[in-house]
Amino acid sequence: MAPRLHPALLFAAALLVLWEGYTRLTGVSPMVLPGPSGVIRALVAERQAIARHAFSTIGVATLGFSASVCFAFATSVALHFRPWLARGLIPIFVTSQTIPLVALAPLMILWFGFGLLPKVLLVILVTFFPVLLSLLSGYAQVPRDYLDLLASMGARRRLIFRRATLPATRPSFFNGLRISATYAIVATIFAEYAGARHGLGIYILAAKNNFRADLVLAAVVVSAGLTLALLGVIQLVERLTARGGRHA
Amino acid sequence: MLEIAGLTIAVAERDILRGLSLSLDDGKFTCLIGPSGCGKSTVLRWLAGVLPDTLAASGRLTLDGAAAEAPHPAITYQPQTDALFPWLTVAENAALGLEVAGVPRREAVARVTPMLAPFGLEGTAGLFPDALSGGMRQRAAFLRTIARGGRWLLLDEPFSALDAVTRIRMQRWLCDRLAAEPRGVLMVTHDLHEATALADRILVMAGPPGRIVADIAVPGPRATRGEADLAPLHETLKSLLLEEEDR
Repeated sequence: MAPRLHPALLFAAALLVLWEGYTRLTGVSPMVLPGPSGVIRALVAERQAIARHAFSTIGVATLGFSASVCFAFATSVALHFRPWLARGLIPIFVTSQTIPLVALAPLMILWFGFGLLPKVLLVILVTFFPVLLSLLSGYAQVPRDYLDLLASMGARRRLIFRRATLPATRPSFFNGLRISATYAIVATIFAEYAGARHGLGIYILAAKNNFRADLVLAAVVVSAGLTLALLGVIQLVERLTARGGRHA
Repeated sequence: MLEIAGLTIAVAERDILRGLSLSLDDGKFTCLIGPSGCGKSTVLRWLAGVLPDTLAASGRLTLDGAAAEAPHPAITYQPQTDALFPWLTVAENAALGLEVAGVPRREAVARVTPMLAPFGLEGTAGLFPDALSGGMRQRAAFLRTIARGGRWLLLDEPFSALDAVTRIRMQRWLCDRLAAEPRGVLMVTHDLHEATALADRILVMAGPPGRIVADIAVPGPRATRGEADLAPLHETLKSLLLEEEDR
């Protein structure tokens, strides 16, 4: 039997062919819109510089994302056990999501300098909320019978949380993690764009200033690859830590 | 003996149960029947100590004459679904009650593993619940209930999700298990045939507010009850329920 190609690969290939065809047929300047072949050539030629900057971006994104997940988990536990805290803090968290990054990123640089801290803070700000929300909604959706069963056995709230609430929240948590992961790399690049010495963000800014659309797009390709890799890691962790059937 | 005296449960000034009293004998199987919404499951949930915070309850529970509070180690509750945790193996699920009581997981699993075979669950210790049939899942849930060791079982429509054949098999199986390990049972069911096949005594509830309107002893031992013998009882129960519904 012939191997089946993934539909997403087919669509991506079709888009690339259309894009390449358009740039060749219209003769649009490569400074405005290079074709995929031009982007790949630029990526290969600049691979060392792009890799150096990409590693910096990976470092910031990983640190920020990990801190965000830990912070979201600790906050979710606090909000779960102290509902008055949830009533007070959730509106603030929701409001924090309405702050435009374009306004906040330069302020972060102004307040905390060009180091790691402002970028990590920005990644936390962007990725924290989806993880927190997925955890809280997961806690709220645990089947009542699971909780009642343990309560009728005399289990206290902490034990019920550990033995039923947390494991039952796993699918919801990983969904939130996936949503946040798609923001993590983009948020890092945005933070670097606002002010940094290394990273894909600052690389994109420099390439743009030099009218090198091919390098900008090469960095975008790498950024997309990093996001997909992060999603892949999350999927792998989900599979490796799974116990039981489809609900686990 | 398990006794409830003057149980009133209300939500926002509206009584769900009003002044309900009943007593259950050790080792006897009692079924609670009645129309939907009359408070049958609420009685069980109160006895299990899992009444929602939104409900206000007042009433007295005594076990062998001594005042008791729910949840109580002598009372074991089985909710409407089998409530098997999908992330735990069958043996781990069965051992849950022991674990909550403070037995380390490994020891709790070791204690329930020899009980799998008598419950028709041989070879399933390491399987996850998704791999079991409906009947096997119910048996695993019963094993979890029995393994916890309470003298009283509260069963909330345990067979309602099963197909007809599996339901009959499970009813027979439960009778055999209870003959081997006698327990006092209070079971909620909507099925009159199930009630008359299993119970020593049937309490008919009506409401809201929920109250007991009839207390009927089922004649003869379970094993010898035939459909023809039970037909008059079915008729009596049906008339009672319809009468209360029309009132």
